[in-house]
Amino acid sequence: MGQIKRIHDMLISGEISCVELTKKYLEAIKNSNKELNAYITVTPEVALAQAEAVDKKIANGEEIGLLEGIPMTLKDNISTKGIETTCASKILTGYKPIYDATVYELLQKEGVVMLGKANMDEFAMGSSCETSYYGGAKNPHSLDHVAGGSSGGVASAVGGNLAVYGLGSDTGGSIRQPASFCGIVGLKPTYGAVSRYGLIAYASSFDQIGPITQDVEDAAIVFDAIAKYDERDSTSQGSKPAAPTLNDDIKGRKIGIANQYLDGVREDVKQAVLDAAKAYEDMGAEIVYFDLPELKFALPCYYILAMAEASSNLGRYDGIRYGYKAEHYNGTHDMICRTRSEGFGKEVQRRILMGTYVLSAGYYDAYYKKAVNLRGAIVEAFDRAFELCDAILAPTAPVTAFKNGYLFGEETDQIEQYLSDICTVPVNTAGLPAVSVPCGVDGEGLPIGMQLIGKKFDEKTILNLAYKYEQAEDKRIETKWGVKL
Amino acid sequence: MVTREDIENIALLSKLFVDEKDLDSLTEEMQKIVAFADTINNVEVKTGEFDNINNLSNAFRKDEVKESLPVEEILKNAPEQAEDHFLVRKRA
Repeated sequence: MGQIKRIHDMLISGEISCVELTKKYLEAIKNSNKELNAYITVTPEVALAQAEAVDKKIANGEEIGLLEGIPMTLKDNISTKGIETTCASKILTGYKPIYDATVYELLQKEGVVMLGKANMDEFAMGSSCETSYYGGAKNPHSLDHVAGGSSGGVASAVGGNLAVYGLGSDTGGSIRQPASFCGIVGLKPTYGAVSRYGLIAYASSFDQIGPITQDVEDAAIVFDAIAKYDERDSTSQGSKPAAPTLNDDIKGRKIGIANQYLDGVREDVKQAVLDAAKAYEDMGAEIVYFDLPELKFALPCYYILAMAEASSNLGRYDGIRYGYKAEHYNGTHDMICRTRSEGFGKEVQRRILMGTYVLSAGYYDAYYKKAVNLRGAIVEAFDRAFELCDAILAPTAPVTAFKNGYLFGEETDQIEQYLSDICTVPVNTAGLPAVSVPCGVDGEGLPIGMQLIGKKFDEKTILNLAYKYEQAEDKRIETKWGVKL
Repeated sequence: MVTREDIENIALLSKLFVDEKDLDSLTEEMQKIVAFADTINNVEVKTGEFDNINNLSNAFRKDEVKESLPVEEILKNAPEQAEDHFLVRKRA
């Protein structure tokens, strides 16, 4: 049984009240957040008020839903009315949104208990959580290692049992890679499946909100609750529910492996993925190998487009309407420049500059337009691949969690950092859904993750495959942190 | 080749200050990122024009007047405000 259902049963049987449960989590956060740095803001008043409402319903003999009273966290780029939402950036210090993101609104209708806002790379730009203005979140399996990024705080909190589940966002791997590093499950839904209303934008044609959970069943339950059409997001479509078909037989299912996905991947990670393929064969699925040469240019294509979109999206931070404002300036232009240079971190400024460069006169055709067309080629390549299989199996990241400071070390440059996203970005470039699941442990005791990539709006197939794998070969490992139930 | 002048120009367009002492290292960094981006120019694209991920069509809502966000709420986040407006001083 998944963790959410287990806690749900404890709540309805009266084994624990929702307030007691919530207090346990708040206490654990108090004890462990100094080390894990998973939360930027903790919201005990909000969580306890939400928990009391759930207890009242239970006391009245009313039925409660599966997500009702389950303590969770939101990445700090998801807007919460009246609760500071910083994107882990100095430039949004003190910013309290005046509306809720649709996903939080939906979860409130389900009776959510929201523990606080989770750490992340600044504006979701990074793969280690270390670009956060508040310092990086740590890996619950080893404090010497990062939680991954950009949704590092959510992954650290869920992996470290400081929340039952959380919502992150995935622009180039930001849900799946930290989930993989922290040994938990992360689902990046199809572009358009979950409303982006209230998600502070990084790269709008890639961004997608999704669940980070302790097991596959939980991911399906949370996904089904948030994958709803929303009239406030013009790209919103909703998706089909995934929970009802989790346990379907996978005999005869075709799982594809693209040879290029295994290029340059560390040997133990590669072996863990191939072992998973073997496990699928044992369950009656068929493995098909093929080439996907277009993967080679997915990474530069992604970075060009994401940086271009970011440079435009981040134009709104001017120190006039919200957030940080420079103290000393002379004239409006000077005020805006100073605010932005003092408020944005180095990596954010680098991406704004690069995005501006590829969009500027003389370079637009060579970079931006070319990348847009390459994106079309990548979409078509995946379409062809899915004529051969129902889902694609690949590593989530070429390595396990990085050592703290690795990505910002003297000898590591930006490109090396960008290259670490090689396995995750093609999915965002093509707008596909993918779920990361633990599939092994490396020599240092750090989790290895694999991802199952699906056809558009076919989350149910990849979650079904992930669930069957987890049932047969549970590779999750315990951490010493947080609430033990 | 990315030059110091390129960086100064795009910094101006981006409304970012680049400190004189950081200009050389930033130029070098940007040169590396541009070289990385340049790898796409070795690829032939067979596909036609592409402009929309997932071939999604806009999910329009009905064109109905709805309540706007309240001005006083919006202004709460402003660093400075006066008389229902955002306040921008010439200098500070």
